[in-house]
Amino acid sequence: MIRVHRVLAVLVVLAVPGVLVVSAVPAAAQQQALTPVTDTAAVERGQQLLVAQCGFCHGANARGGSGGPDLTRSTLVLYDEDGRQLGEFLAVGRPDKGMPKFDLPRAQVSDLAAFLHSSIYQNSNRRLYKILDIVTGDAKAGEAYFNGAGRCGTCHSPSKDLKGVGAKYEPATLQARLLLPRGRNREPGTVPAPLYTDPTSVTATVTPSSGTPVSGGLVRLTDFEVTLYDATTGQMRSWLRTGDTPKVVVVDPLQAHMDQLPRWTDADMHNMTAYLASLK
Amino acid sequence: MIIYGRSARTVALCLLAAALAVVPVRLLGQIPTDSWPTYHGDYSGRRFSTIKQINTGNVKALTLAWVYRLNTSRTGAIVGGEGPDTPPPGTPPSIKSTPLMINGILYFSVPDHVWALDARTGRENWHYAWKTRGGDHIGNRGVGILDNWLYFLTPDNYFVSLDVATGKERWHHEIANMKREYFSTNAPMIIGRQVIIGVGGDALDIPGYLESRDPEAGNLVWRWNTTPRPGEPGAASWPDEDSMSHGGGMPWIPGTYDPELNLYYLGTGNPQPVLSGKSRPGDNLYTCSIVALNPNTGKMAWYYQVTPHDTHDWDAAQTPVLIDGDFDGRPRKMIAQASRNGHFFLLDRVTGEHLLTSKHIDSLNWTKGINSTGQPAHDPAKDASVPGTLISPDTSGATNWPPPSFSPDTGLMYFGTRQTFSVLYLTDTDGRPQGWAAAERNVGSVGNALKAIDYKTGKVKWSRPFAMGPGGSQGGPVGLLSTAGGLLFGSDGGGNFVAYDASNGKPLWHAGLGTNTSNGPQTYLLDGRQYIVVGAGDSLYAFVLQQ
Repeated sequence: MIRVHRVLAVLVVLAVPGVLVVSAVPAAAQQQALTPVTDTAAVERGQQLLVAQCGFCHGANARGGSGGPDLTRSTLVLYDEDGRQLGEFLAVGRPDKGMPKFDLPRAQVSDLAAFLHSSIYQNSNRRLYKILDIVTGDAKAGEAYFNGAGRCGTCHSPSKDLKGVGAKYEPATLQARLLLPRGRNREPGTVPAPLYTDPTSVTATVTPSSGTPVSGGLVRLTDFEVTLYDATTGQMRSWLRTGDTPKVVVVDPLQAHMDQLPRWTDADMHNMTAYLASLK
Repeated sequence: MIIYGRSARTVALCLLAAALAVVPVRLLGQIPTDSWPTYHGDYSGRRFSTIKQINTGNVKALTLAWVYRLNTSRTGAIVGGEGPDTPPPGTPPSIKSTPLMINGILYFSVPDHVWALDARTGRENWHYAWKTRGGDHIGNRGVGILDNWLYFLTPDNYFVSLDVATGKERWHHEIANMKREYFSTNAPMIIGRQVIIGVGGDALDIPGYLESRDPEAGNLVWRWNTTPRPGEPGAASWPDEDSMSHGGGMPWIPGTYDPELNLYYLGTGNPQPVLSGKSRPGDNLYTCSIVALNPNTGKMAWYYQVTPHDTHDWDAAQTPVLIDGDFDGRPRKMIAQASRNGHFFLLDRVTGEHLLTSKHIDSLNWTKGINSTGQPAHDPAKDASVPGTLISPDTSGATNWPPPSFSPDTGLMYFGTRQTFSVLYLTDTDGRPQGWAAAERNVGSVGNALKAIDYKTGKVKWSRPFAMGPGGSQGGPVGLLSTAGGLLFGSDGGGNFVAYDASNGKPLWHAGLGTNTSNGPQTYLLDGRQYIVVGAGDSLYAFVLQQ
C-alpha cells in the first residue's frame, strides 16, 4: 500500500516541478467532509420548488432574501440528512420569527434538501468553480500594446507563431499562456512529459574545470548540485557543486515574460487577452 | 546553560510555574537543553536553542543518527475514534508537527496518528491510530503534553487525550462539526492548567474560535470567538450579524506567550468568504490580526490587524515571535511577524503599539501603500475580478505557517519567502458570495529566497535564493531553527536539509534527503550528545556529530 503511494508520489514530482514548494494547500491531500449530490433530477426539482415556495424570503438561490436568512449557511440545513431534519422543521416552522410551517410531501422535502446540499457542496468546493467570460478587454488596444509598450512583436507575430491562437486555447488558458507560456498545455487524461524536456524549460550551461561546457534543460540547481537533461541523448547528467565550481549559467527562454510579470497592468492584460482571442 | 529539569513532571511544573510568573522571565525565553516541551520549544516562538555542541566550526561532521519512516498501519497500534474500520484513501501523510521531546521520548503526529519514539534510536515505543470520520487531512501541527497526559486534535474535530506512557486513550470530545467543513490542525498549547486549542476550516463561511479546555476532563473553560457578535467591540467593522458570525478568522497555528505579562499572542486567519469582500465591507476584525489574550479568561487585551479587509487568503497565522531588545535606543518587549501578506511587522507586545512595518518581498503589487498605523492599505482594484486580476504574492502568500526563527545572537529573524504571481478570477458574482467565491490560476515566481531581517530596521540583512528547477525558482516557506552554535537549520527548496551560517546565510553542511523538510527542526541534548531532528514528508531524521 505504502509502496504504491510512493511510486505515485515520484510520478507527481516528475510531472509537476512546483510540487517541491511547501504549500498550504497541496491539492492532492485535500479532502472534504461533504459529498456531492448525485441525483441531478432531484436537485433540479428542488430548485424549482425553492424558487416557487421559499424564494420570496430566502432568495432564488437560497442565499437570503427579503427577511429570510441564508439557507446555505444554516446549520439546520448543513446538519440535515436527506431532508429528515428539514422536514421536521418545515412541519412546524418558526411562527414567532415569521417562518410559517409548510406541509410538503416527503418526496418534495427530499428534493428541496437535494438542491440545498448540492448548492452548499458547490460553494464549498473551489475546484468546481467555473471561470466566467473573461474576454472583456479592447482587442484594438491590445494590438497596440502588442506592437508598442508590450514589445511582444520582438519575438511573436500574429501571422506566424500566434496564427489561430485564439481558436487553440479557451480564454483563461490563453491568458495564462500570455503571462507565462511554460510547458505544453496539458491534454485531458494525459500525463505531460517532464517540464525539463520541454523547449520552454529553464536551461543551464555547466562548465567543468576541465572539459567542454554542457548545456541542457535544468532538472535541478541547488548550492550542492546541478543536474541537466540532454535532449539529444535523453539522459540526465549531474555535477556536485562547491561554491561557484563548476561554473553554472542559467538561461530562461521565457525571461522576457518573467521580466514583464511585475509590469503588467490588469487593463493591458485584459486587452491583450482580447486581442489574442481575436486571432482565430 | 539553562536546564528546566530532568523529568516530565519537572517540566510540567515549570510550565505551570511559568503561568504564575514565579520562574524568572529570563528562563522562559530559552528552550531547555534536555527537552523540547512545547511546539516552539519554549513559549517565545524564537526556535533558538542555546545548545552549541554543534556549531559553525564542526557542523561538517554532522551525520545521520537514525531515520523513522511513518508506519500508519493500524496493526499493532492502539486504535480509537468514531469512524469506519477501513481508513479513507489518501496520499501518504507529511510530518508538519514539531515533535516534543520529554524524558528521552519524542512525541509527534500527522493527521489521525500519534507516535512516541525513543529519542536515542528513533524506534517506536507506541503508535496511536484514530479511525476518522473524514474531513480535510491537510496537516497536523503536533501534540501538547501536561504531566502524564498528551493532547491532540483530529481532522474530524475531536480533542483527544492519551496516556503519555502507554498511548492508551483517556477520552475524546468533539469540538466542531465537520458538516460545516470544520477540520482541526492545531497543536494544543498548554499554559498553566489551560489547554488552548483552535479550529480550522475555510471551504464554507464559518466562524473561527479558540478554546481553553480543562486538562482533566477536557471540558470547555472559555471560548474566544475570533470575530465579534453584534454589540461587541469590533462589530462595527462588519456590515451585519450574518457576515460577522460567518466571518472565518481561523486560529490555525499555536501562539506564543509572555509569562510576565500573562498574555497569549495569536495570529488569526483570513476572513470569509475568502476571495470576495463584497458581502463584508469593513476591516473585518479580528481576522488577519495579532491578538493578545489573557490565557486564564480568553479576554482580549489588545489587537493589531496586519491585513485590514483581506481578500487574498493571507491569514496572519505565521508565528508571532517574542523579541526582547533595544528599539530606537531603549529596551522594549516586542513581538514580530513575517506575514503572509509580504510585510514584516514589529509591535510593542505590552500595548500592541505599532513600531515598524517593512516589505519583505519586492514583487508585491496589491496595496495602496502603508497607512498611518503601519497597515497595508487595501486596494480594491487588486481584488479578484471576472476577467482576472494579476496579484503578487499568490494566495499561498509571501510566506506561510512553517515556523520562522529569531536568533538573539544575530538579532535576525529568519523565514522563507516566495515572489509568486497568480490570476484571481471572480466566479461568484452574487451579492452574497460564498466560500472562496473565486478561482486562481498560478503563473510563476520571480524569485524565492531564505531571508534574514534585522528586527530593528525591518531591512533584509541577507537573502539566499532557493533551488531552481525547470519552471524556475522553487522552495519558499520553511521551518527553521537557529542555535547559539551560530547555525540556522532549514531546507533549500531542492530536497536538501541545510545548516547555514546564521550571520550570512552561507551553507556549511547539507543532507540530500531528496524531499524538502516539512516541519520545524528541533534540537536537544541526550546523554551529552546534541541531536538535530527534522521531518521531511513521511520520514523523521535525526543527526548527531560523528564521534
